[in-house]
Order: sequence, then C-alpha cells, then structure tokens
Amino acid sequence: MAPLTVRQATKSFGSVQVLHGVDVDIEDGEFVVLVGPSGCGKSTLLRLIAGLEDITSGDILIDGKVVSRLHPKDRDIAMVFQSYALYPHMTVAENMGFSLRMRDVGKSEQDRKVREAAGILGLTDLLDRYPRQLSGGQRQRVAMGRAIVRDPKVFLFDEPLSNLDAKLRVQMRAEIRELQKALRTTIVYVTHDQIEAMTMADKIVVMRDGRVEQIGSPLELYDRPANMFVGGFIGSPAMNLLHGRVSEDGRSFTTDDGADIAFSEAVSPAPGRQAVLGLRPEDFTIADGGTPATIRLIEPTGADLLINFDLGGEPITALFHERLALREGETVGLSVPSNKVHFFDPDSGARIE
Amino acid sequence: MVRWQRGLWLFFLPSFGLLAVVLLWPLGYAIYLSFFDYYLGSDARTFIGLGNYADLLSETRLWRSMWTTMLIAFGSVGLEFVVGFALALALYRLHRSAKVFSVLLFLPHIVTPVVAALFLKWMLASNWGFIDATLLTFNIEPQDWLGSPFWAKVSVILADAWVFTPLIMMVLYAALQGLDTSLIEAAQIDGASNWRILRHVIIPSLIPAIIFTISVRLMDVFRFFDIIYVLTGGGPGTATETITMYTYQLGFRMLEVGKASALGVITLVLVAALLLAINRTLNKTYRGGDR
Repeated sequence: MAPLTVRQATKSFGSVQVLHGVDVDIEDGEFVVLVGPSGCGKSTLLRLIAGLEDITSGDILIDGKVVSRLHPKDRDIAMVFQSYALYPHMTVAENMGFSLRMRDVGKSEQDRKVREAAGILGLTDLLDRYPRQLSGGQRQRVAMGRAIVRDPKVFLFDEPLSNLDAKLRVQMRAEIRELQKALRTTIVYVTHDQIEAMTMADKIVVMRDGRVEQIGSPLELYDRPANMFVGGFIGSPAMNLLHGRVSEDGRSFTTDDGADIAFSEAVSPAPGRQAVLGLRPEDFTIADGGTPATIRLIEPTGADLLINFDLGGEPITALFHERLALREGETVGLSVPSNKVHFFDPDSGARIE
Repeated sequence: MVRWQRGLWLFFLPSFGLLAVVLLWPLGYAIYLSFFDYYLGSDARTFIGLGNYADLLSETRLWRSMWTTMLIAFGSVGLEFVVGFALALALYRLHRSAKVFSVLLFLPHIVTPVVAALFLKWMLASNWGFIDATLLTFNIEPQDWLGSPFWAKVSVILADAWVFTPLIMMVLYAALQGLDTSLIEAAQIDGASNWRILRHVIIPSLIPAIIFTISVRLMDVFRFFDIIYVLTGGGPGTATETITMYTYQLGFRMLEVGKASALGVITLVLVAALLLAINRTLNKTYRGGDR
C-alpha cells in the first residue's frame, strides 16, 4: 500500500518508440485503470512498473523511492497475468506460497498466510488441487491469492478478465473491486474494455499511441472528454461525432452533409467556427420541434431501445430508456439539451469550451 | 473417439505384417537361438536351455563390459544433457541475430557418426594428430588419448558428446520455445533467483522433453557401436568394450551365435528396466508436487 509515480517514462524497442514521456500519479490505495486500444502502450507501461521491461528514460517511484532500475523482486509489487501464469506442477497452496518460500519465510508462517488469503477468496477447499483441475474463475482467484499472500505495496493486473466468459467477467469485476476496498491496496489495472475501466476505476488513464490522452475519474472522462479520441473511446454505444460548422447566432450546427441541428440556447464555441459536434446516444429526446431524422433500425435490448437514425445523411445512434412506439422508416424530431453537447477542434481534436 | 467397426482390423494387417517380419521375427528368433549352443557355420544346434545365460552371467568379461557400458552411457548422456541444456538455455536467451550460431553448433550432428569418429581419430592420433601437435608446440606432454585405458574411455565419451549434444540442445530449445514466458516473469516477481526459476519453473515444465531426450539417448548409447568401433575397436585390451562391442565379438569374431543372442536379450531387458526406472524417478520428483 503505497503511492506510485511514473515520471516522463519512455520506452523504445530498437528504433520503435512505444511510450513517449508518460506521467501518471497514483495515490495510496487508489484503483487506477490504464485503458486504450490495442498497441497503445498500456501493457508496456504496466511491465515497466513491474520491472519486466527496462525503462528507456524517465523514472518510476513506489512509496517515494526510485525503483526504475531495480529487479522486479525488489520492487515489492505483485502481478496478476492475463494467462494467470499458475505453475502447473504445483498445487493451489504451493502456487500461493511460492513467493513466501522464495523469500525464505518459515513454513508455519507460509501456511498461515496462504490459509488466510484462501479464506478471503473462498479457495480453502481447493488448496490441494492442481491448476488443471480448476475452472477459469477459480484459476483467476488463485492468481489473485498469489498476489495477496505477499501483501505488496502495489498490485498490477494485466487484462486479468479477458479469458473469462461474459457472465463470470461481471462477477469477477465486482469481486476484484470489493477485494480492493477491503484490502485498501494500490492497484494498477490494464484493460482494453472501457466498461471494465468505467465500473472499476477510481481514476482512468486513457492512452493512445504511447501517450496519455486524459487522466480523470470515470465520470469526469465521460462528462468532459478532453479530446475527440477520449469522447469516442469512453462510453458504449460510442459518442456520435459530426463534422460541421456552428451557426452565426450559435443556436444551431450545420453538418458537412447539410443537416441542421438546433439547440435550445446558444452554445459556447465562437459563432461560425468549424467544429466537431459530439453527442452521447442517451442525451437525445424525441420532440416535435427537433431536427428531423429517419429511423433506420430499432434494436430493443429489453432494458433499453437502441435506434439508428439517418440525420441528413449522417448515421446517428441514440439510446432511449423508455419503450417508444416507433417504426423503422418513420421520421421523427430529435433534440439535445444544449448543456449536453461537446465540441472538438476538427484539426487538433481538443475539446472546445 | 473412433468407433470400432467389424473388419477394421484388416487395415491393421499390412503394417503389422511388416513389423512382424522385420522386428518381431528376428527378435523371436534371437530369443530362440539364445537357448542353443550354436556356432555359425556348423550344422549342429544343441538345446542347452539357460546354459548361455548361466555362462555369460558367470563371466568377468561380461560384467566388465556391463560396467564399461554404464560408465560410457551415463558419462556421455550426462555430459550431453548438461552441456546441451546449458546451450539450449543460452540460445533461448540470445538475441535473434545470434541464433545463426545454433546452425554451426548443429554441424557435428549432421555428419555421419562413423565419419565424425574417423575425423576425431585423426585429431586424437598420437604425436602428429591435431591435439597432440597443438599441445607439443606449447611443450605440454600429451596423453595417449586412445591408447591408455582411462583416456580411451574419456575420448569415447567426448566423441559421443560431440556428436549428440547438438541433438539434445535442439530438442530442449524447441521445448523452451513452448514455455509460457509469463511463468518465468511471475517467478521473477515472486522473488525467485535465476537458479530457483530454473529448478522450480523451467525444468518441471520441460519434463516430457527431458524424459524423451534422456530415454532416446540412453537407448542409443546402449547400442553404441560405430564410434567405438572406429576410435578404439573396444581397446586398449577391453577398456572400451561395451555390451554391444562384446556381442559383436561373440557373434562375428568367435561365431558363438547362441551366446551372442543371449547377450542381446540380456541387453534388451536391462535397457527396458533402466528406462522404466528413469521415467518413474523423473516423473515422481517433478510431477508429484513441488515441496
């Protein structure tokens, strides 16, 4: 349990630079999720923190101490791997006690700690089994048990749920979160699944192409994405992004395809400015005076209604929580409250306030 | 699962027939001959039951050749395994561009053992051989590599190791490629030293490959003939006479075919028992939990 700081971290594999000066501050006991598309450098960053890769430049501090050049075993961290990395020829108890044994902890102390961790994770009955005799969820728990036994300063998780089926994933998500609350440990968690990031994190670090795009709490990222990439990446279904121009009076937006979207009040970007309009699917309402849009497809999920519209040639996704009596092919009016719209610069992608 | 159907065994017949002719029949015939007092060329075959076996087991020459075989077998397989495994690990850690060297390391194995042995014989020849000549330039008095009973054994072991270490290296290297690297990384984070990672993570994962290489090499080395035949011919005296060399002497020099067959059967039983014991021990040590 300790704070973790990454300062100006870069990493190159030969001539290919995969991290370009990453800064992250993680407080004691915080659950931080690194999220981004494949190849964004999130796993590399985690491996730098673990010491499994050498940092090219920059520093990593755990509990105020520079650990950038230390061997993984001297950093006082524990890691849960995507493949779980359980030693196949050892029982659950031996797997969990391996790190203690390697640190020459006494046999009775080893047993006590393994039993304690097994108790927390509900593995007590499985201690004599081998990994091949366990289900995916149980293996996942053993991998976490191996980390807990050590009582390290920082826990690292590398896409730990990606090998589980959807139902188990939701369950394990909650279990990991509860465990973190109970143990009050610092966790760095890597995933490509933005729902995992949203539901688990205290703080999300969104990465792309080896750079940090935005750091913030899940709702900060959702409500005020710093750029077009974060806006499009966080949230499911994804934010609608429309290229166009703000009208002279600031009360409407004309898309490049010529559709007009009216706002109830004037919006902040300079009138007449080229911009990208970001609209969350759930922010739409159907109103008589709204922008006319044609329904192309209705997808009921049971709880919600997902509707694909054609708005003056632009495909738009909208999500409604009520069961609307609509038919495909019908044209309705769509409106968005003016405090729910996002604008981004079409060139830099940065948010326009 | 294949569902067995009536008549399917017919497909099994050709391969079984072939095996029966080339493998089972000679084996059966050898076992049959081992019960007879029979000289090659003579018409008389006298059934003597276990006489050949009793004769052989009371001979000091047999026990000496048995001992020599064990020494050479365990010496060379041990050496090959340790060096081969070390090379495989080195290769596993090496950068891609350095891996071309693996081809060079493999060269001795590509050469036919007889040719390799001939080559070594020239290198080891006294006074003017490559090794002696080199040592003499530094004023070091060389040993009689093939003429002294002790050094002849060492030379034979080294020769076998020279030819077969590359094979072990390649098999173990291939097995290492299949190892989940996150296991090693997990062990590093768990605080295991390199030696303990090797002992507790890498070796247990390679057990099937290790059993395979050691078994194949031991089987091979008990049949070890060509290199010894070329290098020392079993000499000096009987210093490098292994069971196969002795069998050859019995069968083709002394023409005692019955006795030679009996020795062949003894070798077969011995090797089978040995391999079974090694498999059991290795599996038990590493698979039955790690304590």
